[in-house]
Amino acid sequence: MERHAFPAMGTEVEALLDVPGGPEVVLGLASVEREFLRLEALLTRFDPDSELSRLNREGALEAGDDLLAVVAHALAARERTEGRFDPTVHDALVAAGYDRTFELLVGGPGTEAPPRTSGGVRIRGRRIEVDPGVRLDLGGIGKGYAVDRAVAILAPLGPCLVNAGGDLAVAGVPERGVWPVRVETGSGPVTLGLAHGALATSGSDRRRWPAGDRIHHHLIDPETRRPSDSDLLRVTVAAPTATEAEVLAKALFLAGEGAAAAEADSLGVPALLVTRDGRTRTAGGLA
Amino acid sequence: MTDHVVRLYAVALAVLVLFLTWAAVAARPWAPAAAEQDPRVAALERREARLRQRSERVERQVARRFARYERRLRERRREIAAVRVDNASAAASLPASPPATAPSVGVVSLPPVTSSSSS
Repeated sequence: MERHAFPAMGTEVEALLDVPGGPEVVLGLASVEREFLRLEALLTRFDPDSELSRLNREGALEAGDDLLAVVAHALAARERTEGRFDPTVHDALVAAGYDRTFELLVGGPGTEAPPRTSGGVRIRGRRIEVDPGVRLDLGGIGKGYAVDRAVAILAPLGPCLVNAGGDLAVAGVPERGVWPVRVETGSGPVTLGLAHGALATSGSDRRRWPAGDRIHHHLIDPETRRPSDSDLLRVTVAAPTATEAEVLAKALFLAGEGAAAAEADSLGVPALLVTRDGRTRTAGGLA
Repeated sequence: MTDHVVRLYAVALAVLVLFLTWAAVAARPWAPAAAEQDPRVAALERREARLRQRSERVERQVARRFARYERRLRERRREIAAVRVDNASAAASLPASPPATAPSVGVVSLPPVTSSSSS
């Protein structure tokens, strides 16, 4: 098993290839790192020169393929989840104190929820337009998109897995038949065997920071425009792609335990729900 | 009456003399002949003529090359259109693509190779 790990998109990325080493493998793994760094430069909200920052600043631009694809995915996800996944929570994240890369975050008083905006985002051909006051954050979905791109790069070389801080996807069957992935439950870790597709975990137990007398986290409820008060601590979801798994994990987290379990069952989405009081519940046929 | 006619002739003659004098002065007979043109001006004129010739040559060459490019572009477009027709008929003969593969996941007792924690 060949492994390459590197930091990107504010997290640790690892790429695994279940083939003997060789020059092609080295090149493939290096290409994954390059792809992540390329996408990070386009999609980050923390770099004023990124394509996303330009869109947020100027309100409209002729977008490149990747920004266009991620925004299209995000808008489709907003429709599908009836607004629980919403890429226009940028200002709410900033108001909650997440105004710089997580490594540099020191916490602060936090400010009131920003005023509600129209949330209007339109794609006309290659042009993306956002309504005045609307700014996008593509942090999570951008990571899922990068994982899917990276797996597409590695797949021709053999069975592979790419994991960006919990958002992971696999392609090809490894020697052991499945890719064993450790997931934390309320009562300790379990190992899920992923044969194909992707897994993503969203939760309020990481990316937390002090804000006055509260602890804030990065999962914003678009309804309140504040960090969510969901009764769930963490949700792990399996889906065909990492982009989709990331969207579903966030949407189920915001739905809360009961609604999330019902939705996962009705959609047939394998999900593992960990509640804030330490219980673990499976749904969507996960056994 | 005779004096009057004489005066008239005298005035006409005076006007004629004045006109001839003006024409002679305007002709600038004292100016140097064309053969004595300033050599710097002559050099500039030669250079201009050379540049004009070169420019005409370049224009002809560009026109030839552009015509060749347009001919090749038309041929390439015809080739691309033919490939598109082939691709379309090949795609039409394929079965409809299956829906995105559902993920396959379950609890196993293998040692993990990685972990999925909150992102």
